[in-house]
Amino acid sequence: MIGASAPLALTAHLAWVSSISFGGFPTVLPDVRSFVVDKNGWMTNQEFANLFAMAQSIPGPNSILMMTFVGWKVWGFPGAIASAFGTFAPPCAMYFAAYRLWDRFRDAPWQRIVRFGLAPVAVGLVVASGAVMAHTADTGWQAAAVTIATAALTLATRLNPMWMLLGGGILGGLGLFK
Amino acid sequence: MTRFERAEKVEQAVRPGALFSAFLTISLCGVGGGSGIVWARRVAVESRRWITDGEFADIVSLCQFMPGPNIIGIAVCIGAKMRGVIGAIAALCGSLVIPGTVGLSLGLLYLRYAYLTALRDILGGIAASAAGLLIATGVRLLKPHRHRPAALLFAALAFGLTTLGKLPLFAVLLGVVPISILVAGIENARAR
Repeated sequence: MIGASAPLALTAHLAWVSSISFGGFPTVLPDVRSFVVDKNGWMTNQEFANLFAMAQSIPGPNSILMMTFVGWKVWGFPGAIASAFGTFAPPCAMYFAAYRLWDRFRDAPWQRIVRFGLAPVAVGLVVASGAVMAHTADTGWQAAAVTIATAALTLATRLNPMWMLLGGGILGGLGLFK
Repeated sequence: MTRFERAEKVEQAVRPGALFSAFLTISLCGVGGGSGIVWARRVAVESRRWITDGEFADIVSLCQFMPGPNIIGIAVCIGAKMRGVIGAIAALCGSLVIPGTVGLSLGLLYLRYAYLTALRDILGGIAASAAGLLIATGVRLLKPHRHRPAALLFAALAFGLTTLGKLPLFAVLLGVVPISILVAGIENARAR
């Protein structure tokens, strides 16, 4: 039986890790797993892994969604709401403050330099996460061909990306990647 | 100096409702990890023309440095830019509330039918396309910087250290960003 202190502890822990999740929530996922599975025994390793796989494959902000599922598992609907809030509230406040500060110095010469230094690195990381995702999704040359074709189509046309996702889903559903 | 200048767009007041619906669309469309950025760029830069590619790249790089889910940061920053606190809250709600409920119900359905192979095959195909979209979005964001060889070099370095070097993201940021900023500073001083 789980008491009322469990969702509170979970929310507080999520608020803490989301405040230090520099570079995105996946970086603190191992920490959340050990808190939820090893320390508190709220679910099994397998259940945690299933929640992860599910959150990755449905629409929406998936790290928040995953923590919502974790909260759901621990304390039903109130737990889900509390976990979601713990996951997104602290970073949101930080984003807002940082953006305000950033915008105030928009025309400062140092900021232009910082921007020109930051942007290429961020771009490299976006492309890298695409490549890592392709590698995770990869089930052979067919999947790689779909990834390359989608990238080429996106760069060459202004086609709605939804068509390409639909195409990928249909090819996958036809069993092309086996 | 001139190559550092970008045409500043005239900022018009955007209704909070428009921000809400835009980010609702973005988060509903984003399937799979990180691909919300694909749709955020598509909607904010291409369809609504609220910001330029350069401004979007700035926001993305700011968000890379902050904790938390990047797509939420993008919503808060674009909302704050277009309409202050109310804009940020509207964009955030659009990103969270309804997709949260849709995602939760889909998730509960998915847990029930997770054993179906056909479902897994379809998701595999979607994931492969989603990866391609992400790569293309990254390449597009580099466009405002394509005349700077140093920018291409640092983008390639960040990419290589992450994919081939398998370094954690935070290590890559700490290692590459200071040098990249230093080089941008030298370039700026020379162009003066």
